[in-house]
Amino acid sequence: MTKDDAPQADEDRREFAEEADTLWEITIAPAIWALHFLLCYGLMSLACAKDLFPAGTVRLVLIAASVAALAAIVGLGLRSLRQWGALKTGEITHPRGTPENRHRFLGHAAFLLSVIAFLGVIFVSMPLLVIGGCQ
Amino acid sequence: MKRNQCDPPSSVRAQGLALFVLLPVLAGCDGVQSALAPAGEDASVLATLFWVMLIGAVVLFTLMNGLFFYLTRIRVHAQSETVARWLMIGGGIVLPVVVVGTLLVWGLSILPDHRQGGDGLRIHVTGEQWWWRVEYWPEGADEPVIAANEIRFPAGERTELVLESAHVIHSFWIPALGGKMDMFPGRETFLSLRPTRPGTFRGQCAEFCGASHTWMAFDAHVMEPDAFDDWLAAQTEDAAAPASAAAERGAELFGREGCGACHAIRGTDHVGTVGPDLTHIGSRTTLAAGRLGVSQSDFQDWIAHPDALKPGVEMPPFDHLSDDEISDLARYLRGLE
Ligand code: HEC
Ligand SMILES: [Cu+2]
Repeated sequence: MTKDDAPQADEDRREFAEEADTLWEITIAPAIWALHFLLCYGLMSLACAKDLFPAGTVRLVLIAASVAALAAIVGLGLRSLRQWGALKTGEITHPRGTPENRHRFLGHAAFLLSVIAFLGVIFVSMPLLVIGGCQ
Repeated sequence: MKRNQCDPPSSVRAQGLALFVLLPVLAGCDGVQSALAPAGEDASVLATLFWVMLIGAVVLFTLMNGLFFYLTRIRVHAQSETVARWLMIGGGIVLPVVVVGTLLVWGLSILPDHRQGGDGLRIHVTGEQWWWRVEYWPEGADEPVIAANEIRFPAGERTELVLESAHVIHSFWIPALGGKMDMFPGRETFLSLRPTRPGTFRGQCAEFCGASHTWMAFDAHVMEPDAFDDWLAAQTEDAAAPASAAAERGAELFGREGCGACHAIRGTDHVGTVGPDLTHIGSRTTLAAGRLGVSQSDFQDWIAHPDALKPGVEMPPFDHLSDDEISDLARYLRGLE
């Protein structure tokens, strides 16, 4: 058995190193959704239940925050769409375990997560548009 | 043809299949406590929402199962990847987003209606274990008309309800008139209702509140506005004096037995506030928060054994009194119209 064939302790780690660094990036869009949710419910209840801020102003601030959140999610979505590469290559799934495949798979997952985060932010923002005040 | 109160809007009546599925539900929907037989604006909005969602759900269910059947029994061979993909994106993403989004906007748009201001009358209701303390505040009044265990509304007017609770959480619900609203100790909640169809409906506590929760109900009377005004004017009066020898004896017993420590009868020196105000108990349609009717024997049963009728009740049994005495008490109270 030659030296080259011997399994190396950190082989896995090296093989996955590249993706491990970017793995957390797929959570950014859902995290924006969660923060936006917290911000909406937190600020609105401080305004309506505790009377700390005027509800009208909070509403405008939150609508602006929603637009910012949506823009950020669209940006992330477009980036992961490129990483996925389905539009260019026409390949949707990536069943082989090559680094290239893993890279594209993470792009795919991140893209789908940004789609659902986008919808989530829209649903959470709906009361801001439809209800308007503290009713 | 008189339209049955339970019929869904006629535009959807053609959904024969849906109605067939609904038969068990429909059987129970003509009563005095049905959200499907709305007698007011607020309940109608909810009933429409219910029918649309139910029929929508039945249609979706049928479509899904139809598709399932089609693909597993009729067109069994493999589908092209494109068909499968668009089915997934269309049926799995686009359709739910549109359906849920539409329902969300609709639901949100009717949400504030429950809190809109009224036309003048404000009713303050406090949930007690296990009855309802009721105060009517007509527009401009500086003191309320006190009542209990019954709520009357002028038809066609929007009435504001301010809800509160004495000890535990209750929930105020008159299904035929609108949605429900919880009542919390130490916190006021708000609900407004616009009943449109005169009649008698039933309200029920809708949040478990102890041993007699089930027995915590009330009659809601929707009256023509003129009749309502007359009724409210009569409620502001002091109690009627006993009108017969039996009632006379009953009034005396009421004092001697200490009923007045818990019950108020305006115009007498009984001013207790532990239990319901009995000033006009004889004009009500139920006894003990919807537990009994208002016959002579209902009154007698209640006075002798309230604990047997409502477990945990705060009123002691008066079964040490003779039948005649209890009968006299009942006569007195029934005369308080
Ligand atoms: C310790 C307090 C207490 C005493 C004493 C008491 N009651 Fe009561 N009574 C209550 C309470 C509390 C209720 C409400 C019970 C419920 O519905 O849960 C009640 C309910 C009633 C009701 C039904 C009221 C309604 O709104 O439908 C009548 C009638 C009544 N009492 C009569 C009497 C008479 C007559 C006596 C005296 C012989 C008496 N009570 C003594 C506490 C008391
Ligand atoms: Cu209850």
